Amino acid sequence: MIPSDPKKVTAICFANIDVPKMHTLEMARQQGAYQFLPTVLNTFSSEHIVSEMKISGLRGRGGAGFPTGLKWSFVPKNTGKPTYLLCNADEGEPGTFKDRDLMRFDPHLLIEGMIMAGFALGVKDAYIYIRGEFIHEAKRLNDAISEAYAANLLGDNILGSSYSMHLTVHRGAGAYICGEETALIESLEGRPGRPRFKPPFPAVEGFFRCPTVVNNVETLATVPAILEHGGEWHKAIGTPNNAGMKIFSVSGNVKKAGNYEVPLGTTMRSLIEDYAGGLQNGSVPKVIIPGGSSTPWLLAEHYDVPLTYDDLASAGSMLGSGAVIIIDETADLIALTRRLAHFYAHESCGQCTPCREGTGWLERILTRIESGQGKQEDIRTLEDAAKHMAGRTICALADGAAAPILSLLEHFPELVEQAIAEKTS
Amino acid sequence: MTTLFINEEEVTVAAGTSILEACRQSNVDVPYFCYHPELSVAANCRMCLVNVEGWPKPPASCCTPVSEGMKVSTESEALVKDREMAMEYLLIHHPLDCPVCDQGGECKLQDYAMEHGSGKGRYLEEKRIIKDKQLGPFVTTSMTRCIHCTRCVRFADEIAGTGDMGVLNRGDHMEISSVVDECLSSELSGNLPDICPVGALLDGPSHDVSRPWEMTRHQSTCTQCPQGCDISIESRGQDVMRIQPIEGSPEPWLCDRGRFVYDAFRNESRLLKPISKQEKVSWNDAINDSIALLKDKRIGIICSPDWSVEGLSAIRLLRDTAFKNAPVAFDLHRRDKRSFAFEEGFSQTTQQIEDADQVVILGSDLRQRLPLVMQRIRKRVLADKPVVRIGSMRYRTNSELQKDMLIRPRDWVSVIASAIEQVMALGKQAAGMQAWLDATQDRHEAGKVLADALLAETCSLLVGEEIRCHNDAAALIHGLDLLMRGCGHAEANNDGRNLIPEGMNAQALTALFAKDRMSVSDIFEDANQGKLDAILLIGSDPIGDGLFPVQAREALKKVALIQIGAIQGEISDQASVLLPASAYSEVEGTFINMEGRVRTAHHPLEVLGDQRPLWKIMMRLLQALGQDIPAVSLEELRIHMHRFIPELTKVDDKQQDAIFLSSARNRKSILPTQITLRTLDVVSRYSMYREGMWARSSELLRGAGERQKLADVIMHPDTLAAQAGSIATLDTDHGQYQFKIDVRDDISPGVLFISKRGIAGDISNVVSVDINGGSA
Amino acid sequence: MSDVQFSPQRLDEILTLVKRYPKAQSAILPVLHMAMEDFGHLSIPTQQLVADTLGVRLMMVREVVTFYTMYREKPCGRNLLEVCTNAGCMLNGADELLAKLCEKLKIQPGETTDDDMFSVIEVECLGACGGAPIVQINGDYHENVTEHHLDDVIAKGRTHDPI
Ligand SMILES: Cc1cc2nc3c(=O)[nH]c(=O)nc-3n(C[C@H](O)[C@H](O)[C@H](O)COP(=O)(O)O)c2cc1C
Ligand code: SF4
Ligand code: FES
Repeated sequence: MIPSDPKKVTAICFANIDVPKMHTLEMARQQGAYQFLPTVLNTFSSEHIVSEMKISGLRGRGGAGFPTGLKWSFVPKNTGKPTYLLCNADEGEPGTFKDRDLMRFDPHLLIEGMIMAGFALGVKDAYIYIRGEFIHEAKRLNDAISEAYAANLLGDNILGSSYSMHLTVHRGAGAYICGEETALIESLEGRPGRPRFKPPFPAVEGFFRCPTVVNNVETLATVPAILEHGGEWHKAIGTPNNAGMKIFSVSGNVKKAGNYEVPLGTTMRSLIEDYAGGLQNGSVPKVIIPGGSSTPWLLAEHYDVPLTYDDLASAGSMLGSGAVIIIDETADLIALTRRLAHFYAHESCGQCTPCREGTGWLERILTRIESGQGKQEDIRTLEDAAKHMAGRTICALADGAAAPILSLLEHFPELVEQAIAEKTS
Repeated sequence: MTTLFINEEEVTVAAGTSILEACRQSNVDVPYFCYHPELSVAANCRMCLVNVEGWPKPPASCCTPVSEGMKVSTESEALVKDREMAMEYLLIHHPLDCPVCDQGGECKLQDYAMEHGSGKGRYLEEKRIIKDKQLGPFVTTSMTRCIHCTRCVRFADEIAGTGDMGVLNRGDHMEISSVVDECLSSELSGNLPDICPVGALLDGPSHDVSRPWEMTRHQSTCTQCPQGCDISIESRGQDVMRIQPIEGSPEPWLCDRGRFVYDAFRNESRLLKPISKQEKVSWNDAINDSIALLKDKRIGIICSPDWSVEGLSAIRLLRDTAFKNAPVAFDLHRRDKRSFAFEEGFSQTTQQIEDADQVVILGSDLRQRLPLVMQRIRKRVLADKPVVRIGSMRYRTNSELQKDMLIRPRDWVSVIASAIEQVMALGKQAAGMQAWLDATQDRHEAGKVLADALLAETCSLLVGEEIRCHNDAAALIHGLDLLMRGCGHAEANNDGRNLIPEGMNAQALTALFAKDRMSVSDIFEDANQGKLDAILLIGSDPIGDGLFPVQAREALKKVALIQIGAIQGEISDQASVLLPASAYSEVEGTFINMEGRVRTAHHPLEVLGDQRPLWKIMMRLLQALGQDIPAVSLEELRIHMHRFIPELTKVDDKQQDAIFLSSARNRKSILPTQITLRTLDVVSRYSMYREGMWARSSELLRGAGERQKLADVIMHPDTLAAQAGSIATLDTDHGQYQFKIDVRDDISPGVLFISKRGIAGDISNVVSVDINGGSA
Repeated sequence: MSDVQFSPQRLDEILTLVKRYPKAQSAILPVLHMAMEDFGHLSIPTQQLVADTLGVRLMMVREVVTFYTMYREKPCGRNLLEVCTNAGCMLNGADELLAKLCEKLKIQPGETTDDDMFSVIEVECLGACGGAPIVQINGDYHENVTEHHLDDVIAKGRTHDPI
């Protein structure tokens, strides 16, 4: 049970993550799942829910940190078209692995969140777009959904109310880009995941050109607690403008890699040392990638940065999906950058010129530098090619691709110079 | 409306316009590759970046809508660098083969590289090489040059509607591809090379033959179908290299027929020297031989409607002066033998058809007949506007129609009668309706579809060849006119419907020859009955095309044939004298398309051989016949032309888009007759690749036509329990025929669908059909 | 008609699935997953079958098959070992692990052993970096994989037992 005193909250999404058999409806119900649902369905209005969500200060946990209540309020009413709710469970950002745990250990929390969100938005059909590799997680969800249907938690007239919603799990098939919301929509329409330009935004024209809300798993899993305890309750957790708890996926050179849910505002140092067991080598990281591989690097000097959307932005990076990759002294930063460049080249959908051509080009230059064939001019070329990719494309993948390279050049130019000098001679 | 500032100039555009379009409207140059005004926005090339005050990053202008007070600048130091980089990204894999590329000289990539490129590429790694693709007979590819703008894919999806092009793979392995060979299924495939901004998709026939800057351009009007598109014929010296659309024309595309027919302009089927008794002779001898056959003789005139209006006016001068009352015929497909009671052509523009609340297609293979009208129809369908069709075959379209009713041609009367009855029941009246109804008995359910559509505020009625070639055509068309009038879609002197004509200049024919026109089969019949001494054939091929080749052959055994034309047809063997006339591409002159849109060709191709413009030949004949010559120059001829068609005086040369509608639209009442129909109904196929003398002489079109070939005779499996491969024996007024048949279920039961060119008219009076023993 | 056909049960399943979406084309991805299960890989006739079953054009299916990495147009070995070498795993020795695996099987990443028993591919982040390094073996995630673990896998794989 989540305490109704915000000061005492230690977990929201992960409150029951360690409860054995939590993925079964029986156990989930024992822990309080779906208890508040009838109240929502029978006594809450759509406007009330959206307003509570706005008050709660919840910001999207998928990466962009967009206020969830505000996003919901953009959905036009009475268009004559159906509204769709899509759960983004594509979890592809290197370093991110939180949604997987939520789905395999507590699938009913997500389902309950989706029913409530769907109710608020007048949704009849909702989908969970899960990455293709998560075969077992998809099965878990499907099993949980079957149980929910059997218990009349999904389907027609949920729990005897006038609300009906259908929920379908849809598996991706190996494409990081499908985590981008418009690519996800394309993919759900049976096409390659090539992002759409905006406007129109999905809230107005999304899935088959109908109003569509796309939310991350963690975002939706937070909804039941907010509706039960109220927006103000949630707002009181974390820091102003950065409300709530957040799951951080910690990986890299730490002793205890894993997912940790902490209040926003906790410092990076505390996350690493108090939760993730500290570094494998040394005491201070050489590089911190704070929000997934697409976010700009932070250095040891930022070790005490509070984990909030705003503080990480002031530090020059982003909170992103909350995937903290810790890199210590032993790592080869050029190899790591080259590896990430390979990832983005591999995952570019190919439609925008700068991203399609730029990502491959950057990877090839870095590979050449790494193998001792670097040239002095390469530094300038890397910088030009990365800079003019970012912010000039349809989606933000190109920005993510540029980030590690620009970080490497900004913070460790001497490493690159050295690699070029050493090996060419 | 939205007001914004582009480079500090205040500009007002429609709300929702993109920045790029706002720039184009204000003549501000923004470079782009993937944008195309006729295609959906893809925003993938990222070349069209602009700066917007207060925005941190430069947005792509093609996909960013304008907003009130927005301050856009299209030139800045940052943009110079952005464009330079965009060019560098694009060129890293692009081969540097401009000197050998067909696109060289009209390549956006080349132009922009000069304008926006930095001049030096820094890409040192291996370049990508992509396998070339098969995109049908007219398109050659060099896919390594592709810049992935996806214009071609969008064209295939959105315009051609074939959806057989696509994007395979992702990242820099992304590749434009087609599903093996199927792109031919588009009759618009020749537009692909035009759509491609670089040299990846190339015009196959002109590939490697010449460079754009070596070409001379001749603006002309295509007469390959009644649409009459504006074309630019490109030549180098004597050779014709290709035909291109003209930017800013009413239709943005050209069909493959109009585009690739040009190889016939210069092949051996052209008639270049006068011929008499199978020998090449001088013009003098040829004229004298003609006069011997024509002077003081009873002649019938058959001419193609595709000549310029000046040429047609000259024919009228010849007839008025020397052959009063000689019968004149244009239409090789006319079965209704009554004197002419309806006039052809459209009373709406294609834009009005696109915009109408309802469109009804009656008995037409529109996609083959008028590919660009079909394109308009497709735009409607994509915009969820209704289109319904009634006819004897579900002709292949590239769009899903709302309703598609199969009927037999003999049902037309009952379809129209049923529609009339329904609209009358709603109080919609037109004088003559009751009389028309009284002459009919049966009612057909498809009439509801027709009536429902006609009840809309605006409705476009497209009347096709199945009605135009019907034995009772005049009555059917009159019935439709009554419907249009009753439903308020017609005005005084304008019957409101669109009768798809056989060729160009339909409105001019009405004005020039009015009721004197008859069916070619009447002329052949007159010849057979000894009422004529000679046939003057000016530019068509009743043996190669049309419904009455058997009749034509019989007639020509009895009377002399004098043929005037630019190209020889299958009939030419029978001609006593052949006089070479300049082709449509080789004359200055006026053309009027089915909508009544007037076009004037000013800068023709050079004339080949000893050809003369038609009007001069007419004058020469008049002179040789001992008459005064009514016109010695084109200017003088035009005075006559304006006398015949006063409406044309209002059309000034420069004002190319003037629409002219013949005022002679007829509204005489014609009632359905009880035609005794025997056995099956015969319907013939029109193939854009095989119909017409020019198309048949074009190797390029013949090749494409081969792939679209249908079996000679097709039936529904329920008709006489027909099976594919059965042999059908037909007894007709013109003898016995045997065919191997194919069966398909997109054809109406009870219909004999003839794909074999020409003979449908001669076998339309089928006395009996016998299929492997089963007969009717 | 080609030889590749879905079983009647599969067709039923597809029919039920299609009803869950506003348009049948949405089912292209899931039906391709089913086809992979049924036929092992996606030949052109199989892709045509999927297109015909859903009433979409072959080109649509081709675009999807070539865009997503999990769809294979060619058969692979009996056991598919997918080694993540992205950041989290790389920092925990994935490159060495992959090299060892290839050495043991005497193949390069992307290849299949001569006896068709094993295929090894290098993949992008599998979304489980907490247990780096990760190897996905015939669909199952194996976390914190060691060289020793690999020996086990190879031994089991050779005996035709499911790993
Ligand atoms: C390249 C790219 C990949 C993304 N991947 C994911 C992802 O795997 N999961 C996710 O929830 N959001 C992802 N996003 C963010 C989504 O576009 C979107 O912002 C998010 O799903 C919205 O949900 P939220 O408001 O609940 O955060 C990605 C964005 C980009 C540009
Ligand atoms: S992608 Fe580009 S040129 Fe292509 S039209 Fe725009 S952004 Fe523009
Ligand atoms: S980096 Fe390997 S699973 Fe995340």
